[in-house]
Amino acid sequence: MRVPIHIIVNGEEYHLEVKPNRVLLDVLREDLGLIGTKKGCGLGKCGACTILLDGRPIHSCLLLAAQANRREITTIEGIAAEEPHPLQAAFVEKGAVQCGFCTPGMINAAKALLDANPDPDEAEIKLAIAGNLCRCTGYNQIVSAIQSCTPSTSDRPAAARGESNE
Amino acid sequence: MRIRSFDYWEAPSLDKALTELEISGSDAKVIAGGTDLVLNMKKKKILPSRVISLHNLKELDFVRTQDSEVRIGALTRHADIAADPLLKTHLPILCEAVGLIGSWQIRNVGTIGGNICNASPAADSVPPLMVLGAQLIVASKTAEKKISLDSFFSGPGETVLETGQILKEIIIELPKQRSAGCYLKLRRRKAVDISLAGVAFQAETTTDERRLARVAIALGGVAPTPIRVPQAEAILTGLSVDEAMTKISDCARIAAQAASPIDDVRASASYRRTIVDVFLHQSAQKVLRKLKNGGGS
Repeated sequence: MRVPIHIIVNGEEYHLEVKPNRVLLDVLREDLGLIGTKKGCGLGKCGACTILLDGRPIHSCLLLAAQANRREITTIEGIAAEEPHPLQAAFVEKGAVQCGFCTPGMINAAKALLDANPDPDEAEIKLAIAGNLCRCTGYNQIVSAIQSCTPSTSDRPAAARGESNE
Repeated sequence: MRIRSFDYWEAPSLDKALTELEISGSDAKVIAGGTDLVLNMKKKKILPSRVISLHNLKELDFVRTQDSEVRIGALTRHADIAADPLLKTHLPILCEAVGLIGSWQIRNVGTIGGNICNASPAADSVPPLMVLGAQLIVASKTAEKKISLDSFFSGPGETVLETGQILKEIIIELPKQRSAGCYLKLRRRKAVDISLAGVAFQAETTTDERRLARVAIALGGVAPTPIRVPQAEAILTGLSVDEAMTKISDCARIAAQAASPIDDVRASASYRRTIVDVFLHQSAQKVLRKLKNGGGS
């Protein structure tokens, strides 16, 4: 059995026929070639597969592709336009990327946070990324990269000070 | 972690979902957010031949007040409940508890109806809903009925829901007098962790605010299902706030005795029982102090 779904991914419309037993993560990676979204635990624990569904971060490994029908999806590939997103620039500048496996999920969670709350405090940042594991950085650089993209910081990296590309 | 094949059908309305569920019988499974179901299908713990999706049913995604009660649609997501202004004002214990579930990613997909029907003994939404006296509206093709949440669970992962029935909404009577509540969850990490034990404590004063008209205590993760502990509630009910303060130890001891926790990989039974005692002290003190100092809502 296959189920017809209509989804918008990074602004592009797709009409797909998917097997019901496939999760959204696999359809994004295998069918659409969007391999920026990472497959970690596959059990909703690590957050590497975090994408935005209608602007809200979710685990794409725990959502059946069929459940995404008529929804709008943003993956890491849709975050940057011509230039890197200010968050991406800040992650680079602050050393928040080491092996990089958690980065797409982290950026998506951070973007959703800043879209909903442009000036979060440290506790709110930590709560927003609590579902994203990083085994390299110890999180400090990640928190500081996100902080540097908030208006109340005096420590904004060059890229984040410029115009947002959205 | 491949999921075994199954048929999938997206319900366009609750009514059609109920018809389909009646035809499909017990091999069919209803999916809401799926954060538990998809995980269990990956782990091969649940292997449905047919999945009926309620995921996109907007008609069951709401929070509204009607007269003196709040109604929450079964498909309302945890993140929306945690942030709902009405619930934050009147039933903060519920918002705080669902805000502790999983991670932001889980709370953006998981629903309150799914959390209840999944029937985990440790479900974080259940003890607060129990102490708030929640009633469930369960629909079938032919009828709708009201079931008290206290009598909804029949064992770990088991409820009194029959084939063909869907949990439609949750009804909570708003406290008439001043009230306060507290939910404490024991966990090993600050996020993405199942509760090892949970204690919900809710108290409401009499009209003159001098005595406790109603005390409700519910425990999660320390019995085959979440439970109310009427024996412990009775110790404090009817007392003044000051009298109740002096009886907290008795109340906590009896609640800990009422628990029937198990030893497992996450914690020992005796540790869980001790935690019930400790959390009951902490939650009762917090609630009683709030009521004494004119707090609560």
